[in-house]
This record gives sequence, C-alpha cells and structure tokens, in this order.
Amino acid sequence: MRWLAVVAGVAALGVGAQRAAGDPGGRVVGTVKVTEADGKPVAGADVIVYMMGFSEPPSDQVATVAQKGRKFVPDLISITLNERVSFPNNDPFLHNVFSQSPERQFDLGSYTRGEKKERQFPKAGVVDVYCNIHPEMAATIIVVPNRRHTRADPTGHFVLEGVPPGEWKVFAYTRRSTRPTSAQVSVKSGAETTVELSIVRGAELQHLNKYGEKYKEGTQVYKDK
Amino acid sequence: MRTVMAVLLAACLMPRTAAAGRSFYGWLYGTEVMPERGIELQTWVLDESGKYGTSNKETWLWWGPVIGVTDQLELALPIELEWQSSEVDNVVKASFTFRRFGIEARYRFASSDPAEAPSLVPLVRIAAKRDVIVRDRLRVEGDAVVSYDLGALNALVDLGVVADVATSSSHTELRPSGGISLRVSSGLRIGAEAYSELSLDARGESWAAVGPNVAWTHGRFWFSGAFGIGVYHIKTAPRVMWGIAF
Repeated sequence: MRWLAVVAGVAALGVGAQRAAGDPGGRVVGTVKVTEADGKPVAGADVIVYMMGFSEPPSDQVATVAQKGRKFVPDLISITLNERVSFPNNDPFLHNVFSQSPERQFDLGSYTRGEKKERQFPKAGVVDVYCNIHPEMAATIIVVPNRRHTRADPTGHFVLEGVPPGEWKVFAYTRRSTRPTSAQVSVKSGAETTVELSIVRGAELQHLNKYGEKYKEGTQVYKDK
Repeated sequence: MRTVMAVLLAACLMPRTAAAGRSFYGWLYGTEVMPERGIELQTWVLDESGKYGTSNKETWLWWGPVIGVTDQLELALPIELEWQSSEVDNVVKASFTFRRFGIEARYRFASSDPAEAPSLVPLVRIAAKRDVIVRDRLRVEGDAVVSYDLGALNALVDLGVVADVATSSSHTELRPSGGISLRVSSGLRIGAEAYSELSLDARGESWAAVGPNVAWTHGRFWFSGAFGIGVYHIKTAPRVMWGIAF
C-alpha cells in the first residue's frame, strides 16, 4: 500500500488544471473489476476511483468515518487535499483512533459515545487509520489533490464528471489492494473517456498499535455479544 | 530510479516512534500534553550540588501519574521525596524524607495535533502541594510557558514562580528559564537550556545553571535530561525525567 503514498505524494506536486468558465470538462467512465489473489471475482467490493496529475481547491464539506460495532464506517473514503474528516464514536465504549502514516500522523486519544474529533489532511497520500484498543478496526483515507474522486457502485461502475482536459492518470483502490491499478486517460472537453481497471485484493495487512508494538494476545478476536 | 523508489519504500515501512517526545527539556516544562484519557507514569530525578561554595547536596525524586483530561488539559498527582546531605565541622548529616504531595494541571492553549497547532504554543501550569514536614505549609507553583516550533528546532521560554505559604512564614522565588532543542532523528533531540531559581526573600537561595539537554522517545517510553553546570551559586544541577505511557 505504501507505493500509493509515494505516487500520491509526487502527484500532489502536479499542475493546477482549471477548466475555463463554462467549460464542462470531460467525463471519465468505466468499470473496476476486483479479484482475490487466486483469481476469484469479488462482488460488491468497496472501490474508490480518483484522478491524479492536477490539483483543485478543497470543498467545505467534512467527511465522516464513524466508529460503530468495533468497525470504522465507512472503512474507505476519499477526500480532497486540506479537507477535514470527522471521527464520531457511536459505540458505547472507548476508542482511540490514530494514524502513523507518514502523510498524516495523529492520535485522537480515547473518547466515548457521542463524542467526535476532527482532523484536517494537508498532505496527499494514503492514510491508514486504526484503533489503539481494537486491532480489528482499520480504515483508509485517500487524500487526493483534486475533487475528481468517487466511489464505484456495487457493480464496479463509476463516473467522474468535470475532469479538466489533458493527459491524466486514473487510479482505482480498494482496501487490501496488492499492487497499483491505474490507467492513462486522455480527457477532452465535452467528451467521454472510457476506462477499464482491475484490482487484485490481498490479505489484510497486520498493523502495530500506536506505540509501534504488537497488540496484546486476546485483543485480536472480536467477541460479539 | 529503482534504487530511489526502493529507499523511499523502505523508509515508509520502517517502524516509527509513536511521538516526537513528551518533553524535550530537562529543567523546563514543555508544551506537550497527553492525549485525552491517556495515562503516563512519570519520574523526575534532580540534583543540586555545591550551592554557595558548600559541599551540600540535594536530590529530589518526583513521581506520579499524569492523566490526559482533554486533548489540551492534563493533570498530575505527584509525590516528592527529598534526600539532603550537609557537612558541618567534618561531620556529614544526611536525611531522606517524603516531602510533598499534591496536584498539578497543565493547559495547552493550542491544538495538541502538531499538524494543526500554530508555531507559537503557550501553556500554563499550576500546582498546589502540601508539605509533609511543615504541616501548615502549602507550596503553590505556576509556570507560563511558550514554545516556538521552527520545523526541527524548538525554542522555549518558561517563566516559573514558586510560593511557600505557611502561618509562620512565607517564601517566594522566581524560576525563569529558556532553551532550544533540535530534532536529529525521529526519536532523538539535543539542545541546551538555562535554568535559574531566584529567591525574593532572605529565606531562599538563588542559583543558575546552563547546560546541554537530550530527549529520546521510543514507543511508549520517553526520556529527557539536562546537565546543568553552575554559573551562579551552584556547582552542578543535573536533572533527568522519564515516562511510560499506558
């Protein structure tokens, strides 16, 4: 997954590509096919598709990654560079959300139901978020230097509107992606560009707690009531 | 290009320390505070030797839990132990005692998140401690601390005041200090600091020391220390602190 951080970091330095007033830009449509490492197709995988190579200002919206049922919901989002993400705790017990990703390190401390904390993301890249108390909780925030990012529908179909004309790269990402998935696209104003992408999904990566240690034995298993 | 990518990848995958360090200084109070509901056990050991040209020595032990109440406010519940040694007519007298206990609060006037905090961060510390030996004596401590972050370099000024209040007599002293700390790796910092205690009455002593400091963090453990070399009415004043987070 770290390769994405490098790619995104470099892309963050990309040019500012603004559409002229009244120019609707181009449209990039396509499908993302997700398979397991053994080739079996994965139905309904959560996939984020995003463009790289140009920058756009962020919106005012605040994305949400909630903590619910000892899971992050959703566990994969994309935001525009410098946008904020809210982390509400909807569980009746404590969570300690943190990230040690080089693009954004933070420790929200422990907080309980009804409380929420926010963080801004001033660097493009892939930010892995975990809970220091519950090792089974993992989420990924993709920070993109432009607003051309979306979630594919359950069939893998996606549409990116208003893409500035030019030669860009379109990326697709699902949690547990094992290698880069991207395609070069040539976008023209008022035209539609079609692209097909496929992702091979691997096993969930093991992670360490916020102190860089393995989680204690016995905390790995989620025991539902 | 492949080599560069491999180095970048390796750097990204290297284990990292959890934080840059709870305190960068030995004698000075920093502006870092615990995250909400974080708990840490801290220990401080400080020496003061050779005040006013004597061979007197003092060693203090500060020990206690520190609790993050919010992301900007932390509370500490310290106990202080004191060992003293003095020599009169070639006779050495030494004592070791439980000296004080109390509570202290530290409030940081900025986000605790390094990415969102401004370069200039103020912090206020207030402590109240009961003297175990002189039963009616209350020690009140206050510090106004300002740190300025310039990337790898951190500069800090700490203006402290201590007042011992008792029915029989009182004592007040100022504790102005300042220092710099430079990050040399993700877990290691080095720098220098100056610290002084200036009595405002005849009951106390005044002294000042200057020296190098070092701070090191690894996972849930951190250490910082300074070796104060006396420049006014003291020979040496080393101090070390360490903490372990839970």
